[in-house]
Amino acid sequence: MRVLEPWVEAPLAEFLRESAARLALITTASGQVIAQHGFARSLDVMAAASLGAGILATTGELARMVDAAGGYRIVVHQGAQRGLWLAGFDTPRGRWIALVAFGEQSTVGLVRLFFHRFVERLVAAAPRTVPVREVLAEGFERELDASLRALFGGS
Amino acid sequence: MSLERWERLLGEVIVIPGVRGAALVAVDDGLVVAEAALDQLDGADVAALVAALVSRAARVARSIPTEPPRLIHLAGEGGTLLAIEASAPLWLVAVAEPGAEVGRLRVLLGDLAGAVG
Repeated sequence: MRVLEPWVEAPLAEFLRESAARLALITTASGQVIAQHGFARSLDVMAAASLGAGILATTGELARMVDAAGGYRIVVHQGAQRGLWLAGFDTPRGRWIALVAFGEQSTVGLVRLFFHRFVERLVAAAPRTVPVREVLAEGFERELDASLRALFGGS
Repeated sequence: MSLERWERLLGEVIVIPGVRGAALVAVDDGLVVAEAALDQLDGADVAALVAALVSRAARVARSIPTEPPRLIHLAGEGGTLLAIEASAPLWLVAVAEPGAEVGRLRVLLGDLAGAVG
């Protein structure tokens, strides 16, 4: 596991242990990678973060089109052997996105159960001192690049 | 099989004294399909944990090796959980208080499991 914010590590480790998820990626809505588990290459993280944010944005627009009040906070893709859990959630540090991949050792129900606990633990552990930054679409790639350099190294 | 029929079956379970609630759970995704009287319990949480329990019991059975479990009886100080395979991937689940008539509950769940269809 690699984390940019140390206080995220314990709640995320607990979530991974409880849910038996295989991969996890936590980013801010502006593209900064906060933590990742299971990814070997920064390129994979970059792709997953961009695609995850894109899926959430797409379903958000769909929700608006079909007048779904409050939008869709969680998107689940269920494959034959693997599933994907994608959720936007609010923290004292702003809106974050979680992308979780799970295999046959887990279920949607189990991820759902422990994801809610993870968010509660995360919110409780979050330092309140850093101001929430405004999310700008043009800053997404820059934030993503900077956080990937911090997590994986390189220039 | 309709949701109405499933809820009627679950209704037969919750009339047993001491039963706190019953649910039909899809163990492949850990989600509730139907539930009855799980007022003070979160049905979604129960479903997720039952699915995990069934999955682990199946792994234990494979490693012994023996046939996969058809019934799981979990007894604790705070009560009892009974889960029985109905029609894959559905399991019939009941949560009961410590003093509940577990024998009767077990027989009834066995009978109803065949009717889930």
